[in-house]
Formats: sequence, C-alpha cells, structure tokens
Amino acid sequence: MPESKLVDNLDLDNYKYGFVDSESHVYRTKPGLDESIVRDISRQKEEPDWMLQFRLKAFKIYESKPMPTWGGDLSDLEATLDEIYFYVKPQEQTERSWEDVPDKIKNTFERLGIPEAEQKSLAGVGAQYESEMVYHSLKEEWASKGVIFDSIEDGLKNHPELFKEHFGTVIPIADNKFSALNAAVWSGGSFVYIPKGVHLDTPLQAYFRVNQEKMGQFERTLIIVEEGAHATYVEGCTAPVYSTDSFHSGVIEIVVKKDARFRYTTIQNWSNNMYNLVTQRAVVQENATMEWLDGNLGSKLTMKYPSCYLMGKGAHGSIMSIAYAGPGQHQDTGGKVVHAAENTTSSIISKSISKEDGRSTYRGLCKVHEGAKGSRSNVECDALLINDTSRTDTYPYIEVDEKQANVGHEATVSKVGDEQLFYLKNRGLSEEEAMGLVVRGFLEPIAKELPLEYAVELNRLIEMEMEGSVG
Amino acid sequence: MVEQKDPKDWTRVATLDQCLPGNLFGVQVGSLKIVLANVDGTIYALEDQCSHQDLPLSDGYLEDDQVECIYHGARFNICTGTATSLPAIKPVATFNVDIRGGDIYVQSVE
Amino acid sequence: MADNSTYHSWLNEKRSHAWSVYQSTPTPTTKSEEWRYTDLAKLFPLEQITLEMGLVDSTQRPNREDLIEATNTAGRIQLTDGLVTNIQVDPAVDSQGVGLDSIQNTTHEKYQEIIRTNLCSHVLPPESGKFQALNAALWKDGVVIYVPKNVHVKMPIRGKHTLSTGNSAVCARTLIIAEEGSHVSYVEEFHSDDFSNKSMVSSSVEVVAHRNASVDFVSVQNLGRGIFFQVAQKSLVHRDACVNTLNVNLGSSLSRLDLNTRLLEPGANSKMLGLYFGDKDQHFDHNTSQDHLAPHTRSDLLYKGALDGNSRAAFRGIIRVHSGAQQSDAYQTNRTLLLSEQARADSLPNLEIEADDVKCSHGSTVGQLDPETIFYLLSRGFSRQQAERLIVLGFLGDVMTKLPHGAFRRVVKNVTDAVEQKLRHG
Repeated sequence: MPESKLVDNLDLDNYKYGFVDSESHVYRTKPGLDESIVRDISRQKEEPDWMLQFRLKAFKIYESKPMPTWGGDLSDLEATLDEIYFYVKPQEQTERSWEDVPDKIKNTFERLGIPEAEQKSLAGVGAQYESEMVYHSLKEEWASKGVIFDSIEDGLKNHPELFKEHFGTVIPIADNKFSALNAAVWSGGSFVYIPKGVHLDTPLQAYFRVNQEKMGQFERTLIIVEEGAHATYVEGCTAPVYSTDSFHSGVIEIVVKKDARFRYTTIQNWSNNMYNLVTQRAVVQENATMEWLDGNLGSKLTMKYPSCYLMGKGAHGSIMSIAYAGPGQHQDTGGKVVHAAENTTSSIISKSISKEDGRSTYRGLCKVHEGAKGSRSNVECDALLINDTSRTDTYPYIEVDEKQANVGHEATVSKVGDEQLFYLKNRGLSEEEAMGLVVRGFLEPIAKELPLEYAVELNRLIEMEMEGSVG
Repeated sequence: MVEQKDPKDWTRVATLDQCLPGNLFGVQVGSLKIVLANVDGTIYALEDQCSHQDLPLSDGYLEDDQVECIYHGARFNICTGTATSLPAIKPVATFNVDIRGGDIYVQSVE
Repeated sequence: MADNSTYHSWLNEKRSHAWSVYQSTPTPTTKSEEWRYTDLAKLFPLEQITLEMGLVDSTQRPNREDLIEATNTAGRIQLTDGLVTNIQVDPAVDSQGVGLDSIQNTTHEKYQEIIRTNLCSHVLPPESGKFQALNAALWKDGVVIYVPKNVHVKMPIRGKHTLSTGNSAVCARTLIIAEEGSHVSYVEEFHSDDFSNKSMVSSSVEVVAHRNASVDFVSVQNLGRGIFFQVAQKSLVHRDACVNTLNVNLGSSLSRLDLNTRLLEPGANSKMLGLYFGDKDQHFDHNTSQDHLAPHTRSDLLYKGALDGNSRAAFRGIIRVHSGAQQSDAYQTNRTLLLSEQARADSLPNLEIEADDVKCSHGSTVGQLDPETIFYLLSRGFSRQQAERLIVLGFLGDVMTKLPHGAFRRVVKNVTDAVEQKLRHG
C-alpha cells in the first residue's frame, strides 16, 4: 500500500494544527458582547454610517432570537458567548506582500503550509488571523483583468457601490440567530468579484486561523461572479486546542450570474473545542452552476447547510459533503436546494462517518416552487458507523409544489462489513489498513473532487483516525 | 375579531388606534389571518403568513414600505405583496382597505 | 348482570384526568416541528366545535347476537357516532374465548380487567399529545378485542364506523390485546356523508402483541367532506411478535394520523403500510415513527399517495434505532404522485440511528406520472384518461399487494373501487 507507506513517514499527532502562538494583538474588545462592542468594532473599521446602522439592527435581532432548539447541543454556548473575545485585531492593516506580515503570524501560516500553497500557482491567497485578514494578494495577471480579491473591509472601502448592492441580500440579517450575530460583529473574510467572461484557471484560496484562546471569529465573505465567468474558491480552517470553547460563525454570500460557474470548497479542520455555526448561501441565475464542496472534519459542533437558490431557468446546484464525527464531535451538516425556476437541476451527495460516540447528522431541504416545471433533484446520503456507540441521523425535508418535477431522496446507514474486512485481510492487509481502505473507498466519490493537497490531507486524517478503531 | 359584515363584503377588523404609524397589527377574519400595516397614517393589509414558512408576518416589523419577517428575514412590499428578499420567493396576498370613522375595514375575499 | 358502576366511575376518572391534560396542553401550531405542514388555526380551528367531556349514558346497551353464515368474517361490530350499537360474533370464535365488545358497556370482568390494565395508560397515555388527550377525555365508546393465548382467529373481525350528524366531535377508541402465540386481524372502516358544518372524528388505537403473537390492523377512511379525521395509533410489539398495519386514507377534508410502532423485544417485527389519494382541497398529514428498542428487530414502512386537485399531503416519518438495538433492519419509503398543477407534497423521512450493526435505509420520491408509460399505453389504444387511471391504480395498488393474501380480498376491492371513483370525479 503506497499510501499507507506515505502515511507511516508522517508525524501523526492527533491534531497537527493544535500548536499555540503566544498572544499578540494590537487591539481587542473586552470579553462578551453588548451594543458598545458592536459600535467599537464599527469605529475600529472606520465604517460608513449605514454599516453601523446595519450592525445595530442586527444586534437587536440577534438578542431577540432564541437559541435554536434543533440541531446540536447549544446549551453551553450561552455561557461561552459571555466569555469570548468578539474582536481581536492582530495587526494594523492587511498586507499585500508576504514579507510585511509580522514574523510570528508568518511562522504560523508557514507551519500551515501557506507560502507553499501559493507557489502551486494559486490565483490569489488570503489569510485571516483572529479577526482580520492579515494578508491578501492576487496575481497581477488576474488583477489586470478586473478580478477583485480583497479583504471584506477593503471591499467596502474601495468598491462601496458594488458592495452595498449585494451585501446582506443573499442572507438577510434575520435568517437565523447566528447570521444575525455575524451581521452585528462581522470582521474579516473576502470580497471577491469575477468580471464578465473571466475564467480563473486556478483557485483563490483563503486560510482561517484562530490563535487566541476564547476567541470568536466572524468572517463575512461576499462573492459576485459575473455573467459567463468561472472561478473556484477554497477555504481552510484550523485552530489550537484549548480547554475552553471557541466560536466561529461565518456568513458566506455568493451571487452566480447567468451562464457563470462557481465552486466553493471548504475543508474545515477546526480543533475539537470549536463551535462552528456557519451560514452559506448562493443565488444561482439562469444557466449558471454553483457547486459546494464541503468537508467537515474538525470542531466540537458544526451546524452548516450550504444552500443554492436556483432563481434562473436552467440553473444547477450541487452540494457534495463529507463529514467525519470522531469522539465528542457532532457534525450537523447537509445542504439546501430551492428550485424557483423552470428546468433547474440539483444534486446533493452526503457521506458521513461516525466513530466512537461521534454523531453525524444530515439535515437538508429540497424545495420545488410552483412553476419550476421540469425541475429535477436527487439526494443521496450514506452514513458509515464505526462503533456501537456511534450515531447518525438523517433529516431531509422534501417540499414539492410543482407537478412537473421529479425529486428523489435516498439514504443508507451501514457499518464496515465483516465480509469486506475478511476479504481484504486475506489479501494480506492488516485489519487497520483494511478499515482505512474501506473508509477511503466510501469517501472516494467526493474526495476525488478535492484539491490535491486536501485530498492527501483527508487520506492522512482517515488513516490516523482509523488507528485503534478495530478490535 | 370578526365584526358585522356589510353588504359589500367589507369587514371591520380593527380601530385605527390599534395600528399606529410604523406598526403592524394582526387580525383574524374567519379562518383568514391578516396583518395591517400603518405607513405614515395609510393602512395596508396583507395575508399574515410569510410565503417562506407560513409564519406570521405580524410578529415582524415594518421598515419604510416593507414588512420584514422576524423569523428568517424575508421581506415583502406592503402595497403589492411582492417578495423583495430571500428566503421568500413567492408573494403574499394583499387586501383592499377602507377607513370609516376610526375603524379599519378590509374587503373580504371569502 | 354485573354492576358496572365501579368500572364506569373508574373510566370517568381516567376521562377527567385526560381532560385536565387536554386543557393544559397547548394547541399545536406550525411553529412546532411535528405540525409544520398543517396549520390547524387555518384548517380546523378547534374553537368552532363544542367539546365537552364525554360522560356516558350507559343505559344504551349494544345489541348482541350470533353471527350466522359467516364465511369470511369472525365478527362484526358497528359504531354510530362513536357508540357501539351492534355486535355479532361467530359462535365458534366466541367459544374459544375471543373477546369482541364495547369498551364502555362490557360486563365481562375479564375484559374490564384488560381495559383497566391497558386503556389510556402504558400504550397511549393522554400525555402523548393534545389530541391524544382530547380523545382520552371525550371518547364515548370503542372496541375491545381480546385474543387468548394460542388462539388463531382465521378470518378478520370487521368494524364499521358511521356518523349520523355533523358539527360534533366523535371520539372512539380501539384496544387490541393479543396474548402469547395468538393471531387476529381487524379491519375497520369509517364512512359518512359530507357535512357543511365542521366535524371531527377522532380515533385512538392501542395494540399490544405479546410474545409470538401476530396482529393485522387495517383502517379504511372514506368519510365525507367537512370532517377532520384525527388518528393516534400505537403498537407495542413483544418478543417474536408481529404487528402489521395498513391505513387507507381517502375521505375527509383534513386528516392527521400519528402512527407509532415500538419494537420492544428481540424478534419483534412490523410492517407499516399506507395509501392515500387526495383531490379537491383535501389535506393529509401522516406522522409515523418506528422505534427499535431491542436487537434483532425489523420494521418496514411503505406509504404511497396520489394527489389531484388542490390537495396536499405531508409525510413525516422517523426510524429510531435506539442504542443497543443491534442487528435491526429498518426501512422506510414514501412515494407521492402529483396529478395536478395545484397539488403539493411534503416529505420528511427521518433517521436516528444509535447502533452500528444495522441495515437501515429510507427513500422518498415526489414526481409526476411517467410520460413514457403514458405514451406506451396511448400507443396501445388506451385513452389518456384510462392510461392515467391505470398508472395511478397500479402505483397505489402496489401497497395492497403487501397485505397477507386471501383474508383482505374484500378490502382490496373496496379500496380499488373507491380510488377508481375518485379518479373518475377528479
């Protein structure tokens, strides 16, 4: 097995991104949240008044909304939210040159492999440390074609009209309690604009790192893909392991215009003390394609359901999702597709693995509005359970208000078959190798869609997590 | 809340002081729920059921000529009922309103 | 004849308890997950019917006689407005100690004891929900079926519910206790005229199948319009026992069925079948659950429906494989055909799995008549209407092929006729 040989040579810490840097920041708000902190964040960012008003309205809505009673266990979150820092500013500005990033932060990202990744000819790279993007760069080739890849703050400063036209239109403040919270305290994230007809042949990549203990990260990303444009965006997330809980709540809004094509890939590998409650939604216009590729491996609890609103005729949405719930983890993930126009198509493929007392939940929606004639949607969920204490749930909502539509959902739950293991062991594999192979085979249809370095990463993780799972 | 009907199918549903400027007020006519909205003294009436998840719009708030659903942020134009923000896509029904003295009448569609 | 006053005062105590539960339980709204697709305030405001706790006049005793020339029926029981009026039992079945009686008016001490132990308590307590409490408070009468150990009742027992008047709430209960190694099947039908006033028919069904027993339960609902048909069915299935249910839902304006099977011990198994056909402004809401509480248990659910006119159906089903219920097989399928532009289907097939060594799957589809099949039938000389009718009947009939053969031939025919009639008028 060449792959397992490869893995043998690697340092298999349980969580290799768990290292901590000493705290360093130029400014941070006091722990907890009140209106003065919302005003303070806005002041720090020297925002126009409309944005302050937006934040204040959001804060009111956030306070009025009850904690969700569905999904994961949020009973300890209220207490966590009283203790965390909602805004931590690591440096004065977003740097354009890697050389200008402070050494300490630079070292962190180097350990996470960022300059390396950049060498692999990415179109652009952004890196968020605590609450701010510390680094953002875009290759000149793309900048000259009018592509914008900025921190969200620079997006607001430099492209105010474009920004205001789309900001908060895909995900309204009141969508859910955490979209309201993000709208009140957002900081960091990317502003992306791909002009008409421009085809990016390499991805834009963003890294999110939380270093500070008891930290809340609230990035906000707005992506506008103009007619006929093509692009791919990749985000990766990691954090140190602390004994206290941290919180991440992003809002990602995407507009994919006529004939455009966009893929958003997430490899979430937060440490196991992180609440990860994210709202991601794309509006997909005529004949455009939106693809979410969502890998949830880390965190204590993730609640995340990327969605596609298929608003134009012939629009297509695809959601591919992998979830791994190890000991103490709950991955409550899935996807939503809303068919609001004729001949729209969608597909959701979800694969989850639960190990020990890990719990993975698929929660999804497929809605076909009246008039969305000729729409088709297919949902497939497969869950693999490793131990007798593992748990999986499937909650698909199917709502069809149009006769000329075909919607199908299927889900299966299984364990790794003894016959499969027996066969592979007879072929000379150890039990653990056999288990790893079966699990990789299970994930393969989605894993093959991942960028190479992430596919390797996923394999490595599976290898590591399957150790000692047999017996 | 149902009061006497007059021959033209108008139903008295509230008094003006129950729905002050800038506010929403929910009423029920038979099995139909209606939300009244007062924009600078002009009363509008919409079906009190968000087209997104059928939750009551009267729990939300009025912003200029838009009613915003408290539950998921959907918005509707109060004159036309058109959905102006996701997650709503479909419109909600609108009703004719008449003010007689201090009373608000809505034209029944039943 | 035994003095029933102690028994009746006991029943009335149970009723008053249920009434207080009913009053303290809030009316479900669409904000609650289980009522997401059924807005009672809009479809059937409870305020518009008079609800009074049912204290029963026990002087009206049902007429009881032997069933003569019964070739395909073991017994018949007739209920009018929820009151048992007529009971006929095959003397051969009667002599085996099989009980078929009115719950309210049984004078048989054995059945009274069975009722005391099981009614509205460990199977379906009033605390299960607003309507479960309502039924437990308002029921006037119902059917008790008791099958002693190792007795096999070959032919089905038939129950018939009719309604004489609208603007009322009729609540009935059914209690089926099958002792170890016994078998029984019960087919109940609900019929009525259309009513312009809103009326409610509520049915609570409690089934207990003890070790190695088997119970088949079939319910066919073809009530008139204007009626809210509310059902709560719960089955407890013990070791190696089997409870199969078929719920056919064709009539009424609004129907809500809460159906739960609990597989309590190894070897327990259950088939849950359902069929519905909606037209005009009918609204159906099926809420099913399959609870696997022990290893080596099996459940298989299939609900199929066709929706015409403005009709709407919601299906919410859940399989729960509880921790430790290893080697369970659980399946769940919901398929809906939309026959008109205005019809709407919502489907939520849920899974909660807390054991790893299980075979578990579910599927749900919503779609239209397959144009290729229609095309084929047209090319074979069928009219479009005939072709559509054939496809719908074939699609729904599939559910009934899962019933045990023979005993339910008449049900299959009645249901097919009723569906055909709806198709003609649709």
